[in-house]
Amino acid sequence: MVIGSGPIVIGQAAEFDYAGAQACRALREEGVSVVLVNSNPATIMTDVEMADRVYIEPLTPAFLTKIIAREKPDGLLPTLGGQTGLNLATELATRGILDDYNVKLLGTPLRAITRAEDRQRFRKLMRQIGEPVPESWIVEKDGELVELSRQSGLPWPLIVRPAYTLGGSGGGVAHTPEELIEIGQRGMRLSPRHQVMVERCLVGWKEIEYEVMRDANDTCITICNMENLDPMGVHTGDSIVVAPSQTLSDKEYQMLRSASLKIIRSLGIEGGCNVQLALDPKSFGYYVIEVNPRVSRSSALASKATGYPIARVASQIAIGLHLDEIPNRVTGKTLACFEPALDYCVVKIPRWPFDKFTSADRRITTQMKATGEVMALDRSFESALMKAVRSLEVGANSLRYKGASQWSDMEIESLLTTPTDERLFAIAEAFRRGLMIEEVAGLSGYDPWFLHKIRGIVQMEKRLRDHAADLNRDEAAGLLTEAKGLGFTDRTIAELTGRTERDIRALRTSLGITATYKIVDTCAAEFEATTPYYYSCYDREDER
Amino acid sequence: MNENKKKIIVLGSGPIRIGQGIEFDYGCVHCVWALREAGYETILINNNPETVSTDFDTSDRLYFEPLTLEDVLNVLEREAPYEGVIVQFGGQTAINLARPLAEAGVRILGSSADSIDLAEDREQFEALLRRLDIPKPAGRAVTSPEAAVQVAHEIGYPCLVRPSYVLGGRAMEIVQSDEELTAYMRYAVDVSPKAPILIDRYVVGKEVEVDCISDGVECLLPGIMEHIERAGVHSGDSMAVYPPQSIAPVTIGKMVDYATRLAREMHVVGVMNIQFVCEGDEPYIIEVNPRASRTVPYLSKITGVPMVQIATRCLLGESIASQGYKPGLWPDQPNPAVKAPVFSFQKLAGVDIPLGPEMKSTGEILGQDVDYPRALYKALLAAGIDIPLKGTLLATLADADKSEALPILREFAALGYRILATSGTCRFLRAAGLDAEPVNKIREGAPNLIDVLRSGRVDLLINTISKDRHIEREGAEIRRASVEQNIPCLTSLDTARALALALEARKNGDPFDVRTVDEYLKK
Ligand SMILES: Nc1ncnc2c1ncn2[C@@H]1O[C@H](COP(=O)(O)OP(=O)(O)O)[C@@H](O)[C@H]1O
Ligand SMILES: Nc1ncnc2c1ncn2[C@@H]1O[C@H](COP(=O)(O)OP(=O)(O)O)[C@@H](O)[C@H]1O
Ligand SMILES: [Mg+2]
Ligand SMILES: [Mg+2]
Repeated sequence: MVIGSGPIVIGQAAEFDYAGAQACRALREEGVSVVLVNSNPATIMTDVEMADRVYIEPLTPAFLTKIIAREKPDGLLPTLGGQTGLNLATELATRGILDDYNVKLLGTPLRAITRAEDRQRFRKLMRQIGEPVPESWIVEKDGELVELSRQSGLPWPLIVRPAYTLGGSGGGVAHTPEELIEIGQRGMRLSPRHQVMVERCLVGWKEIEYEVMRDANDTCITICNMENLDPMGVHTGDSIVVAPSQTLSDKEYQMLRSASLKIIRSLGIEGGCNVQLALDPKSFGYYVIEVNPRVSRSSALASKATGYPIARVASQIAIGLHLDEIPNRVTGKTLACFEPALDYCVVKIPRWPFDKFTSADRRITTQMKATGEVMALDRSFESALMKAVRSLEVGANSLRYKGASQWSDMEIESLLTTPTDERLFAIAEAFRRGLMIEEVAGLSGYDPWFLHKIRGIVQMEKRLRDHAADLNRDEAAGLLTEAKGLGFTDRTIAELTGRTERDIRALRTSLGITATYKIVDTCAAEFEATTPYYYSCYDREDER
Repeated sequence: MNENKKKIIVLGSGPIRIGQGIEFDYGCVHCVWALREAGYETILINNNPETVSTDFDTSDRLYFEPLTLEDVLNVLEREAPYEGVIVQFGGQTAINLARPLAEAGVRILGSSADSIDLAEDREQFEALLRRLDIPKPAGRAVTSPEAAVQVAHEIGYPCLVRPSYVLGGRAMEIVQSDEELTAYMRYAVDVSPKAPILIDRYVVGKEVEVDCISDGVECLLPGIMEHIERAGVHSGDSMAVYPPQSIAPVTIGKMVDYATRLAREMHVVGVMNIQFVCEGDEPYIIEVNPRASRTVPYLSKITGVPMVQIATRCLLGESIASQGYKPGLWPDQPNPAVKAPVFSFQKLAGVDIPLGPEMKSTGEILGQDVDYPRALYKALLAAGIDIPLKGTLLATLADADKSEALPILREFAALGYRILATSGTCRFLRAAGLDAEPVNKIREGAPNLIDVLRSGRVDLLINTISKDRHIEREGAEIRRASVEQNIPCLTSLDTARALALALEARKNGDPFDVRTVDEYLKK
């Protein structure tokens, strides 16, 4: 039996249909008959072709119990239906229903799930294995707050996050005991449970994720790591993300990779798992933020970024296969224990609903607000970023954004410091107005490496404008090639040079500047792929 | 790679957003499957990493690319020669590319760019409806407040007003009088000859949604869904039931006839979605979309008619009859199904929740059972409206809605609900002989209704929207408190009535049972 994630809500979108559909297929290929339950019929996983028995019924323990009683499944795979599926499975297990009907929990054992999900137990385990977790306190009374503020040796600043407020609103960062009391009291007042979480504030640290897998033989691999452009303080689902990480030194990369593998081992996960870490940009200090012991939005992204089908392999592990026995379906030649290698850059940008909800608070914080996301691949970070921007369908064809030129300098400064859906465009506008990389880095917390790249895009805007008149000359070929390589569309080039999109297309085609395509094959072209997918670039060589 | 197979390119629907959800990915995936089954080589272009459509083995070749004209043309150039491009399953994203692609000489399979434009061009479309003698709510575009009042007098109040330049129900309002209309024209919108305002007669009635498949001549209608909330609530946010529960057979006959003739006249090949409002026996057309709609996966599953597959075969030139289906309305299935919206308000501060013509939900679910009230119960439960059989209900209602609310609140009282109400509502209920307890409004002193909501003693809030701005400011606060407390808040009396019906079914009926999708198709 496989439980889906139910309706699409912010934080749980189509990624679980993707995971569930892959799982159903993988399980049936192994000769397992699948009972599928989900309340959301707008999914592929609920197609009668996907599973042997499909139930579209409410996802509540009572209804799931009825289905279990009726179907008497041998096993339940709990880790594919997001937090919803995982919580339901845990509840069925703790209520004894799985035992009553002799249903075995497949894959990651319940013990490992609760160890990862229960904050206290997770922290205890991390301390046992020597992995650092940020100090934190749960506060429910004014007295407790005052007491906390008087403690000596607190790791200032502290981040205050009220429990259960809309979109996580009402929190803040406290630098002094007075601020802590003020923000904490406000937070408790706003919180329907009169509760806040106080934690060492890691805002500004790099936020890095690792997707890791483990099988029952304790073989572990890293599928991919991902770096959030938006530093800590912005939910990973609301961050612009790049894969693989671009600004980590080899030492940092290896340090976080070992930590992630150590964590998945210590938890005893059998399947896929997402590890979120915070890295101090100034030292080699890091903290473990959280672990999701299941497939997730990040694992869907990692799968698409690398071509490694995490949900499929996780389900195969759940029924007892080992990583070194599972063939990789993309290459058809390698095994699932090969770690993917990427020779391109992947950029994900969230899609927020603020175009529909014009009155909504556009600030992005520690709770996710995006409804969806786009991904783009290219040889260069710049071009992947530009492709992702135009995939968003927010009226931007490049980093030129409607209304940006009207922002005052003050507004830009606040757009850089307070993250919203418009921050990327504000960064570009800041460079247009001549701000230095260090200034923008200071305000936004973006790594200078990314800012260099973004400034390069902005500089290209100017160069194109400057060369509007001599674009037809042979010398322009170099400039056009460069612009296309940075991800400029014909339309943007046309706008900047006063031509039509059609003109530019004709011009560059006549100069032989045309898109070529590369293959995503999980192994940096070491083997030939059997089910390839493609991304465009302006490189010479075309891969078919 | 198979060199002999003919190729077809399918455009995906991009990122998930409000108004364009996972339903469109479902359509693209099924289209690709149908093409592969028909022996074609399939190429899919999309940029959403969350979906099944971008899984590596869904299409023969996947291009992870932006869905802009340039990026798509680049892929098309590389893949040439090919049979054509399919845009009708990829939502507005793909549909918007139909015209520019056609102008670039690309063959669009199925409904052409002209058919698509026809449905969106108000004047052309009205002319067509007149020619076919198909009614739509009377209406006109105006460019001044004076003209607006004149048109309103011609067609009569209530009227539905909205700017012609925004899509998706934004800034749409229902006005009841000259004053409201003039206020809207003067303060709510920018009016100019370049930006006219549309005024339509607001048809107070049942909204009905029809999805059909056309082969260019004949039309197959797998099913009709009746909205549970009255017209004025966006189709993506209203609950809906299949098959219709209160629509007369003669009205259904008319809708089938209109759909069939429209599809033929508009040269629709593939899927089409039509929204009607019914007044008496007469269905009025309010919108036609010659593309796959949100309801396609729902209808496919509850009727067993594989809509995307049949439509795809039509795009390839096959007729409906040759696929073994009889044109016209597919017979009703024995077990009713109810679709309900799901919102994500808890994640968004600053967003008000009342149902209206602007879509706000992020997802939907389905409940199915042997009769309508039981299906309703499952749908509400699956949508997270999990309230007890007996409990406490808090009502705070606009004056205009009080008498309509009375019988609904009586039903809740009969179920064993304790009824709390704010002063005006309470007075009204008591005068009508319903036992209600008063609760203070926000400014009437503690404990007020927000305190009551926060106390955890309330299971359900019913709050309808008032036209009075002062009252409404308080209304928004109340609704926000309900979202924070995770207390279901209903802003439409139609939803409240449905909930009472569902609770009665649960109280009086047999215990609930489960069945598979296939089993529901059988009696
Ligand atoms: N101590 C902290 N300081 C600053 N930001 C934090 C801290 N802890 C978490 N965050 C931010 O909040 C986001 C969400 O927190 P997380 O614990 O991962 O919750 P979720 O389960 O919603 O993913 C993280 O992605 C990170 O950006
Ligand atoms: N003339 C009308 N009478 C009554 N209700 C209407 C009328 N026109 C539109 N509506 C209501 O407004 C909603 C949104 O209008 P619609 O034109 O369908 O916008 P959208 O393009 O967002 O689907 C419809 O679902 C319907 O409930
Ligand atoms: Mg997280
Ligand atoms: Mg989490």
